[in-house]
Amino acid sequence: MNDAELNQMLDSWEAPAPAASLREGLLDRFPRAEPRRFGRKLVWALATVAASLVLVIGLGQGADYSSDFPMLRFIGDFYNHVLDGLDLHQMHGLMVRIEQSSPKVSVDGQPAAPLVYGPGTAMSVEVPGGGTYKFISVRRREEFLLSRGGTPAGWVDAGHIHGSMIEFEAGGKQVRIECNQPIADSDRVVFVRRLQ
Amino acid sequence: VRSAAERLIGKARVGNEGAILRLFEEHHLPLYRFAWRLTGSTADAEDIVQECFLALLRPGCGFDPARTPLRTYLFGAVRNQWLKRLRRREECAAQERVDDLTPEKSALRGEVADAVARAIAALPQTQREVLVLAHYEQLSLAEIGEITELEVTAVKSRLQRARAALREMLAAYAPETERIL
Repeated sequence: MNDAELNQMLDSWEAPAPAASLREGLLDRFPRAEPRRFGRKLVWALATVAASLVLVIGLGQGADYSSDFPMLRFIGDFYNHVLDGLDLHQMHGLMVRIEQSSPKVSVDGQPAAPLVYGPGTAMSVEVPGGGTYKFISVRRREEFLLSRGGTPAGWVDAGHIHGSMIEFEAGGKQVRIECNQPIADSDRVVFVRRLQ
Repeated sequence: VRSAAERLIGKARVGNEGAILRLFEEHHLPLYRFAWRLTGSTADAEDIVQECFLALLRPGCGFDPARTPLRTYLFGAVRNQWLKRLRRREECAAQERVDDLTPEKSALRGEVADAVARAIAALPQTQREVLVLAHYEQLSLAEIGEITELEVTAVKSRLQRARAALREMLAAYAPETERIL
């Protein structure tokens, strides 16, 4: 048998292709780096938001630097949007609580027509001889005004909510809405707008 | 300047799965063939190849890119793993696996191929590894010398003896080969 014949014979012994288990087994045994968990990212995100809020509130209590620093303005806007969202959620909850608290409406001490709920989170009250007034309630007057660049057109800062009582002025008359249970955890500001 | 292999090993050592996969894809085929031909077992070959890649990641790994190309180092690692197993099993286990072939299996796999497998398995371990690396993996004598820690002349001598032994063991199949191949 010459070299070529021997080589030919040796070539007949072929190795099989490796099975997928070779790769899978390696990966199973491979010591992976521990993936960063969502929890850690969340903690960092919350810490960043908290720090930003502290910064914005701090600046809000001092001079107004926000116009000079776009990043601060962005953070401030974001903060206001968050507050608006919270306010919206709370206003909706407040409207539901008022509706469930058998509110009695009086205008200048005289019983008046019941409240009208909606659209949205606003409620309406009929002021005899003065027209219909829509009202909304927010937690903080300053932030509400700041986020909207002043009082929104037609809306007037006209009263407040305290415990189970809503009081505001509309059309030169004193409107009182008395509920049979507290409707807000803390005092709130009431803005009123006359409907056309 | 670190080589690409070094960079990949560095990344794999800190748990980068993509890095170990790149090394695996580049080298696993010849290593697997080599391991399979030495052991005659798919399971053993897989285990040996996996172990070689994982050994690269260990702090005490002796791979030195300045001295040895990664491919040569990995072939050497496969060989060492095989020798370790041989010592544990006293070689008989590996021998049994090849001898374990029934006539039916032999017929299915090809009589000549089985005869070649049996003949190579019957070679002394020192000749078997040299023959497999030279004939099946087409490695140079210098590379084989590096892997087996032998002088080139010793590699050449072992290879010649292995081929001579095979020629003798397979002589009976020579006419058969001509007919089949």
